[in-house]
Amino acid sequence: MKFFQYLLKIDRRIIYIIMGVLVMLPLIRPLGLGVTSGPRAARLFHAVDSIPAGKTLLISVDFDPASMPELYPMLTALMRHAFAKDMKVLLCGLWPTGAGLAIKAATDIPPEYGKKYGEDVVYLGYKPGVDAVILGMGENIKNVYPNDYSGRPLDSLPMMRDVQRLRDIPMVVALSAGDPGYSDWLRYAQSRYGMKVGAGLTAVSAADAYPFLQSGQLTGLLAGMKGAAEYEILVQKNGYSKAYMPAVAAMDSQSLAHVVIMILVIIGNIAYFATRKRRS
Amino acid sequence: MHVSHSFLTWVAVILTIGIFSFLWKDNPFYKFCEHLFVGVSIGYLIAITWYNGVYPDLVTPLFRQGKPLYIIPLVLGLCFFCRFIPKVSWLIRFPMAFTIGWGMGVAIPATFQTMIIKQIQGTLLTPGIFARWDVLLWAIISFVGVICSVFYFFFSWEHKGALRLASETGIVYLMVGFGASFGYTVMARMSLLIGRLQFILRDWLGVIR
Repeated sequence: MKFFQYLLKIDRRIIYIIMGVLVMLPLIRPLGLGVTSGPRAARLFHAVDSIPAGKTLLISVDFDPASMPELYPMLTALMRHAFAKDMKVLLCGLWPTGAGLAIKAATDIPPEYGKKYGEDVVYLGYKPGVDAVILGMGENIKNVYPNDYSGRPLDSLPMMRDVQRLRDIPMVVALSAGDPGYSDWLRYAQSRYGMKVGAGLTAVSAADAYPFLQSGQLTGLLAGMKGAAEYEILVQKNGYSKAYMPAVAAMDSQSLAHVVIMILVIIGNIAYFATRKRRS
Repeated sequence: MHVSHSFLTWVAVILTIGIFSFLWKDNPFYKFCEHLFVGVSIGYLIAITWYNGVYPDLVTPLFRQGKPLYIIPLVLGLCFFCRFIPKVSWLIRFPMAFTIGWGMGVAIPATFQTMIIKQIQGTLLTPGIFARWDVLLWAIISFVGVICSVFYFFFSWEHKGALRLASETGIVYLMVGFGASFGYTVMARMSLLIGRLQFILRDWLGVIR
């Protein structure tokens, strides 16, 4: 009984230290537990894969640096997939704090495939006013974004000659850390312009998106870092990339952390029930 | 091991450690990092909203291209600030009325279509429902779950007999939903920790790839 009482009074900082060490160790010495891709990521992968070469994939960068570990690997994996299939990538953002991350991806990834800014990738930047932005893009992208993020007129960018409005784009993938995000693309881009919408979400908001997947409104779903790792694996397995996979590299730590939390939940409950009678 | 020489990386690491120091206990270093984060975020937000929204969509057309109609959004926008002047604070009603009216008009049909009609349809009629038995089974399980969960929130009749069975089944579904949300939340928080540790080990200390 004393042992259980001791467990219930254990200092939270000891748990933090244990967790920190257990998360850090597999990053230094990977355990090789492995990751498999699930059906939700596969659905998104196949939807993107079926876009013909030369067509444009729209990626909405709706997250900030706080969600970078989960969503940035999705962004890079999606861009690698698109470039390997000779698609063009159009980036935009409904979150002001995502601008730096989109610029980083638009700068780092295209050279891996010999792609050039303006011809194969364009970042439109951030615009305030979510519904007005999406609806405006449905009518004419240049009305909403006359210039790209750096002030270059869209008319001067060769890629934008064939992309006038949302109907010219087969699919949008919204990488969302909250609101605004994928639900706005569903609400305005899909319901009004019939666009296919895929989503990459932080794990916190993933559970809310399952009904849209079930109803077929979402073409596919990447949930959290695990979703990013699944997509990275699919991209690499199909020979589209040989790049380092940050989300896959983190999966050992993630798995180990989950095992520890499960053990702690079980121990905590056993200790609680064992001491409940005594306390009452 | 190859410790970074980048000044900005060092700043980021020191601030990360400052935020993590809260796990030990609240302290002035954490408070400083927290306030810095809030200040920088707001400053960044104001700057990017000005350069991506206000300047190109209002200042340029009105003052550089001489389009007089843009005076209307300028006046409406300025009315928001009347909130701070008690004598004319009532002027805020005009931009609020415009914003709410426009927002409701745009959002209601789209939300109704996406969040209600499609979702009611998708409660049972999911894609491929008759193509595979497992899809049909999941569709039936979802349908039962929706009906039972709604019954749990039906308060006009006392929950007894068949209604009690339905509402208690609804509780089971709700608990499964809460459990899934909690599991995902744990995964999200761990991902953020891993992201920071990857930054410290890779970008700062250079001990991992």
